[in-house]
Amino acid sequence: MEGENLKFCGNCDSHNCYDYPTKVFCSTRHAQNLNPIVDTLWHCDNWNQVSQECYCVREAQKAKNNFETQR
Amino acid sequence: MERKDYLKEPVTHIKINGALTVDQLMQQFANSGSFGAGRLAAACDTYEKMLKDPECTIFLGLSGAVVPAGMRTLVKDLIRNHLVDVIVSTGACMVHDAIEAVGGHHYKGGWAVNDNELYKYHLFRIYDIFVPEEDYVKLDYALSDMYADIAKERKGESLGSDEFTYEIGKRLKDENSILRVAYEEGVPIFLPSARDSEFGFIHWLHSAQQQDQKNVLQLDAFKDVPTICGICSKSPKNGMIIIGGGVPRNTIQSSTLASKKGLDYAVVITLDRPETGGLSGSTLEETVSWGKMKGSADHVTVVGEALMVFPFVVASVTERLGKDFKRQPFLQREKLVGRGI
Repeated sequence: MEGENLKFCGNCDSHNCYDYPTKVFCSTRHAQNLNPIVDTLWHCDNWNQVSQECYCVREAQKAKNNFETQR
Repeated sequence: MERKDYLKEPVTHIKINGALTVDQLMQQFANSGSFGAGRLAAACDTYEKMLKDPECTIFLGLSGAVVPAGMRTLVKDLIRNHLVDVIVSTGACMVHDAIEAVGGHHYKGGWAVNDNELYKYHLFRIYDIFVPEEDYVKLDYALSDMYADIAKERKGESLGSDEFTYEIGKRLKDENSILRVAYEEGVPIFLPSARDSEFGFIHWLHSAQQQDQKNVLQLDAFKDVPTICGICSKSPKNGMIIIGGGVPRNTIQSSTLASKKGLDYAVVITLDRPETGGLSGSTLEETVSWGKMKGSADHVTVVGEALMVFPFVVASVTERLGKDFKRQPFLQREKLVGRGI
């Protein structure tokens, strides 16, 4: 799906699920005492490519498209 | 023994006539007295004796996926009703409890699945049970705050594992939580392998967040040794019920050895085998050689899967005892453990 290879929190090495698929938990931000709950399709300057792919970005994009279609 | 001594009691055949209660079925198993049914019935008898012995302290050892598979409420009720006195658990069992206490769930799944796909969906598998990663993450997040709060409240003191579970239980609000109910009832929960669980690995996240090392929670692996050995030592008699085995079983047995008491009662429910020399499958007879169990102890090993076995044991024994049965544990009568240990 388009965008899977772009920089997103959902394909960053620091992410874990929080509210699948739209929100992830960022361990880097947590360690920095910043709000660790971020959008799957956001990203920051500390982005690092995840070592093994997951469906987070794909599913978040699907959810976003569904939300925009319903609007 | 003489020949006639081997032929004292004939097998009585199992009779199922209409609606049997669990304990009535167990009596039929006792009539057979054979194979797994005989051992299951013997386990019920041994547990009943422990409960009726006013001098016996009952240790429950938990390992494996006790909570994910559905025995959380069963264990919680045993604690609430004082039908066990001390819990010794893997860290994981209490992590599973805490996951549900903060709103997570374990889901019925399957074992013939595409695990690579589960990985991509951030779903974890425990045989045929699924757990979403976010339920672990939400616990991690909550624990990270709890650790900071505990460290602050205890002013940097190193905690024993029983103090650690007490502090976590105090902060959980779920009345169905094993940790919470143990905190409320003054039942100690020892985690001899706390570090080998999310409780341990979340410490990395927690400590990375703390600017001041005084605010990092400290756990002392040795601090609870005198506590658990002291319980064994002061209790006139000690009994254990083991689900699985592993570190919890070894901790209970070794505590009775260190305190030079030896177990008076033992029920082990396991699928492990003795031939490897590993503790989980070791026979209870073997523990006699160490002094961990008395040669005269009332004991039985049930070879079976605990989720099928243990609910039968509890249902049968509580039926025998009746709803008016009240037990005041020796430890609490003597004020050896209690709130705020």
